[in-house]
Amino acid sequence: MESTTSVPVWKQVWERLGVLGAVIIVVLAGILVFYVRDPQVTTAVLSSTLRQSTPLILGALCGLIGERAGIINIGIEGQMLLAAFTGFLANVYIGQLGIFPLGVTLFLAAFVGVLTGALLGLLLAFMSVTLKMDQIIGGTVINILAIGLTGYFYIAGLTTQGKLQPISLGPLVDIPLIGPVFFNNPPITYITLLLVVIVHYVLFYTRWGLRTRAVGEYPSAADTVGINVYFMRYANTTIAGGIAGLAGVFLTLEAVGSFERLMTNGRGFVALAVMIFGKWTPFGAWGAALLFGLATAMQTQLQFTGNLAIPHQFIGMLPYLLTIVVLAGFVGRSRPPAAEGIPYETE
Amino acid sequence: MLAKRSYWLILLLLLLGLVLVACGGNDAEPAAEEPAQEEAAAPAVGEADCASADVLCVGLVTDVGEIDDKSFNQSAWEGAKRAEAELGAQVDFIETKDAKDYGANIGLFAENGYDIIVTVGFGMGEATAIAAAEYPDIDFIGVDQFQAWMFDDDTSNDFTNLTGLIFPEDKSGFMAGALAGMLTESGTIAAVLGTDLVPPVVAFKEGYEAGALYVKPDVNFISTYHPGGLDVAFTDPEWGASTAKQAIDQGADVIFGAGGKTGNGALIEVAGNEGLFCIGVDTDQWETVPEAHPCLVSSAMKLITPGVFDLVKASADGAFPAGNFLGEVGLAPFHDLDGQVSGEIKAKLEEIDAGLRDGSIETGYSPG
Repeated sequence: MESTTSVPVWKQVWERLGVLGAVIIVVLAGILVFYVRDPQVTTAVLSSTLRQSTPLILGALCGLIGERAGIINIGIEGQMLLAAFTGFLANVYIGQLGIFPLGVTLFLAAFVGVLTGALLGLLLAFMSVTLKMDQIIGGTVINILAIGLTGYFYIAGLTTQGKLQPISLGPLVDIPLIGPVFFNNPPITYITLLLVVIVHYVLFYTRWGLRTRAVGEYPSAADTVGINVYFMRYANTTIAGGIAGLAGVFLTLEAVGSFERLMTNGRGFVALAVMIFGKWTPFGAWGAALLFGLATAMQTQLQFTGNLAIPHQFIGMLPYLLTIVVLAGFVGRSRPPAAEGIPYETE
Repeated sequence: MLAKRSYWLILLLLLLGLVLVACGGNDAEPAAEEPAQEEAAAPAVGEADCASADVLCVGLVTDVGEIDDKSFNQSAWEGAKRAEAELGAQVDFIETKDAKDYGANIGLFAENGYDIIVTVGFGMGEATAIAAAEYPDIDFIGVDQFQAWMFDDDTSNDFTNLTGLIFPEDKSGFMAGALAGMLTESGTIAAVLGTDLVPPVVAFKEGYEAGALYVKPDVNFISTYHPGGLDVAFTDPEWGASTAKQAIDQGADVIFGAGGKTGNGALIEVAGNEGLFCIGVDTDQWETVPEAHPCLVSSAMKLITPGVFDLVKASADGAFPAGNFLGEVGLAPFHDLDGQVSGEIKAKLEEIDAGLRDGSIETGYSPG
């Protein structure tokens, strides 16, 4: 989107806002119509949408930070899974010590999970920056490693003292529709919403973000002006790993409260689709994640209501279809950072 | 050079990962050829000679998943263990990592001279039938595998060494539904289910719905199947949990979780809410999902353990009933929630149980 061809700027702006605006207006109008018809069900569907989208958006943030810096991360699934596991184990064992109140235990457990994700990010950076390995292989190493480690060290029947509970933001909850959906959530969901804004700000309005993008688009140019390409890639991949770790922690400490083998169930890969759909921007990815979440929630709701004219699988297919539409270039081009996947070598 | 050494390090990591996957993981990754080979050694090492006629050897092949899955595989394995304790059988199991290994895993036991092979799960039906035809001297017990050849006119495809241990899940579900219908105060009950690709799951759901309607004709029943395929539908606790939440948000106060770990996720989610009930499936989930204790009022059980044991015993006695063997079903004890189930409800449940047994009550579910 940075590159302008012969198309005038006003037309580009109109096209982007036109399509996007139309979609947003249609969706909001639809939600309102449903809300008027059945507020309880609409609220339930939207809460579920937000919840289903949370691990996806965290995974997508992880993916896009890495790719903006030039590192493709297909190990998000593995980072989530292992972080979910270590976070859960930490919750179990710190809880068993019995010296901390539940809140502190959960905080420490979440920290352990995030740290796990970050360490796996560091491993990915080591493989792709220092060893200049193929990044797809690097990500696959992480995925296989996570499945192996969690499968091997999994102990059946461990239980925790509890999981993260919703924090209601006082009077805001009383706002119809928006209140119960957005302002009565457990902490990681709030953090996720904040992270979308923070990552957007950092990527596009700070020196760090500019450098990150420079390193991902044109590393040799960045190098000539004195930016440490290796450091930027290491740092971003590690931070991104921490965010993927948070997605894993969300599953075990906030959403389910217990660990099962393979429980990420492909969310790390869907997150990549979400990232591409969102054109490598945090807000785009958030929108895409919400769409995926909405599709899942709608699928459930359609089955709840019964009398389906179309198979429920069809609804579940929609976001993937839309992703293909995006990738095929109908809804504006989705262009990856130019230098992603290519190890940087100084000349 | 450092870089070169580091490559070895990575290679080692990768290998470690693969080995661990083979040992413990449940795998959907491309590394899946590994497990079958790893396991090849497992049953043969350090065993008594299964080829000899005096030793009764029972091999169990799990469905994709672990032997300690708190559910299906585990119950079947307990049946085999009971055969070990009571019949002195030599028992062993193989965990299937990938659906394409079904045949190979069954073959491992068959080649090692096992006398009885138990295969767990609807998905393994085809592979089991193929193996039964190939090894006519071995008795095959297929848990949850309906044997359709019993009912066609063609005698050329009949078996004498293959029995499907099947259950009237609809009856089990009917009991659970009746319980739910009598417990609900909001008038809305829900079911969070594995995939409709598996007939027993459908039977549970249909029975549950019928049971609820039987005791409370105006009950509002909502249910959802997992949208994914067989590979993910039973291992997605977060989907189960958020779906349960969605049902709770629209007033459901009794929720039936039927679908492996996906259903377990739903149970745990319900447990986080005051004053709601949840109902487990397959086994007494009081033992298997402790997190669900606050809400778990009962479970719609298929008594797999005695079913497997009975069939193993029949085979050992030379009276193997080829065809379909109907196992028992029932509700699990109410445990800590016993006080919340009134005597009236218990009496009604007993009445329904009797009615289901003598056929005076029908669930209305017909397979196929």
